Amino acid sequence: MITWPPLLALLIAVPMTSAVLTPAIARGSARRAFWWALAVMSVASIIAAMLIIRVSHEGPFSYVVGGWVAPYGIELRFDEFSAAIAIICLLGTLAIIFSKEYVTHAIAEPRIPYYYTLLLLNLMAMIGFTVTGDLFNLFVFMEILSLSGYALVAVSGERIAEMAAFKYLVMGAVSSLLVLFSIGLLYALTGSLNMADVAERLDGAAAAPLAVAFACITLGFMVKSAVFPLHVWLPDAHAIAPSPISAVLSGLVVKVGIIGMLRVYQIAYSSGAVDMTGLNTVLMWLGAISIVMGAFFAVFQDDIKLMLAYSTISNIGYIVMGLGLASTYGVIGASVHVFNHALIKATLFLGAGAIIHQTGKRTLSDLAGVGRAMPFTVAAISIGAISIVGIPPTAGFLCKWYIALGAMQAGRPFFAFALVFGALFIFIYYIRMVNAFYFQKPKDPSILEVHEAPATMLGPTLLLAALCLVMGVFGRLPLSFIEPAVNRLLAPLGGG
Amino acid sequence: MMRRALIVVLLIAVAAPLMLAMSQLPPHGSPETPPYTHVSPYYLEHGAEEGGAENIVTSVILNYRGFDTQHEVTVIFTAMAAVLAVLLLAGSEPTDAEDAPGESPVPVSVVVRFIVRVLAPFIALFSAYVVLNGHITPGGGFQGGTIAGALVIALSLVMSREEADALLPRKPEHLLQAAAPIAFFLTGVAGLALFGDYLFFPRDEAFRWAAVLMLTVIEVGIGVGGASVLVRIFRAMRAD
Repeated sequence: MITWPPLLALLIAVPMTSAVLTPAIARGSARRAFWWALAVMSVASIIAAMLIIRVSHEGPFSYVVGGWVAPYGIELRFDEFSAAIAIICLLGTLAIIFSKEYVTHAIAEPRIPYYYTLLLLNLMAMIGFTVTGDLFNLFVFMEILSLSGYALVAVSGERIAEMAAFKYLVMGAVSSLLVLFSIGLLYALTGSLNMADVAERLDGAAAAPLAVAFACITLGFMVKSAVFPLHVWLPDAHAIAPSPISAVLSGLVVKVGIIGMLRVYQIAYSSGAVDMTGLNTVLMWLGAISIVMGAFFAVFQDDIKLMLAYSTISNIGYIVMGLGLASTYGVIGASVHVFNHALIKATLFLGAGAIIHQTGKRTLSDLAGVGRAMPFTVAAISIGAISIVGIPPTAGFLCKWYIALGAMQAGRPFFAFALVFGALFIFIYYIRMVNAFYFQKPKDPSILEVHEAPATMLGPTLLLAALCLVMGVFGRLPLSFIEPAVNRLLAPLGGG
Repeated sequence: MMRRALIVVLLIAVAAPLMLAMSQLPPHGSPETPPYTHVSPYYLEHGAEEGGAENIVTSVILNYRGFDTQHEVTVIFTAMAAVLAVLLLAGSEPTDAEDAPGESPVPVSVVVRFIVRVLAPFIALFSAYVVLNGHITPGGGFQGGTIAGALVIALSLVMSREEADALLPRKPEHLLQAAAPIAFFLTGVAGLALFGDYLFFPRDEAFRWAAVLMLTVIEVGIGVGGASVLVRIFRAMRAD
């Protein structure tokens, strides 16, 4: 186990600087950009693995950049929630491998080095967001993340892509403003930007600004994570982006809002100065509505990527509901679903991307019977579909089970019912998809002549599908890993 | 009409709690409020000696909160990468200016051309002054870089394309555009190697020269990077 303190700063600084160097290394060549991006992700993954091993041994640890103790300098803090960087590194690496052949057809050549640059910046900003312990630093990473996200949606150059990116930009800018405004209010009340320090100094702050600050910052993060009814930007943006980007946006970027909310909860609960009951009730209800509405919209989609995008709204609903329940089981389930949903949704989006890349078609009716031509890809999608419905023994089951238990624990069985009802709905549209791929007669017989996608696309998809099964069997591992962090979070509430 | 009324009602409903919150904030500018009593007094007392710069603002953004600024400059770079990812078209990476659109059909006024050329050296000097003097007076890499970038853009408007392109060479452009984050990273690693902490600036009087040197490297990096990014965005839009 390596405990060298500056490693935490290097986790962000080394890959972020390497990302900035991508155009200089690539000098216009897509191949060089790809290999460089892969190398950067490998370095980031190695550092991330060392830090996760450390946190599993000794619990949360911090590093103050430049040797300035908090609150004067910037504190980076690594706790169990920060272990989300594992999934960022894994998915990021697979998305880059998948991109190798995908982008040569999907994106104009001069843009490709900037595609990899922006993808790396996006992933590294997420890592920074996850491990920082400073409110303004959090905002800075959110800016890199949002800016690169908007451009990655527009990069394919289709007309509708630019419109989708613009819609994403307008909503995203409002949410960034809300977050920045709240950080300003918190600074005016406490004179500090360090999260732990802010939490200590909130006692005795005026009630109205405090309530507005917590409401606005949560609202800002809810826009970022596309909770109903703030989801309007998501379906177009996630459906029109290149498929590896869809996987990253749907699997990871929407979770940034969730991690942001977890940080806000850490401040609120440990300070004890803010009553979160009202906000929790709102989150529970919006979560339940998101689950049902996301599923409801998805049922009527014919475009497979739009369907997957709406399903993300449902799953964010599960997570938000788990957070709002504020019971141990609920929050554990929600935290682990951040991880598992990323795996599942990436499987589905990469699988869909491979199919679209091979056939050039993207609607269920056109793709009927594709299962016979691309058996491995469609098998991977089926595993993803079973996981996302939450059928044991796949990755989706345990978290949803925990969130349902959490609803019981919080004395709100209605929400467990909403969860099961939503799962049934989700079951319907994924059955529709699997049915169309395997059992329907092809509309156009030429679809039977397409081949499996190249190895760089098939490999990541199959690996992710396998992980969905593995995480179903060893699902207890992340649950017990995150438990101490959740207990610490909920301890001030009196045992949860 | 109905819709307009609804919007007004909605705006009032949102504005009311915000105004209530603002009214209860600690009075703005009062020396007794937390922003003036908690962290800032430390910066004011120690910033000039420990921070390595007489200008406290420079101390705070480059030293105490340098990690923030390192990523702020990355935001600027990201903005450029975003513009290029959306604007570059197949075959338009302008290594040669042949397929780029020609000169503007409207000739530039002689007066404008003369004035820009006469002022250019003074603007360049002022930009260098703002960058290098940022640790004593208001200014620094961001401001100086913007002035330099604006100068190159102004000259591009009055010069022929070949002359203008020679102002900022294409060969090292990728490195120049990334100059700010690279300068930060190198300084950070230097701090790590020499003093044991990432982005550590020496605080002793004996090593003050080292701190000033490190701050200068960052200021120049931010200046060069900022100017190059501005010019690159301008060129991308001109080629469109």
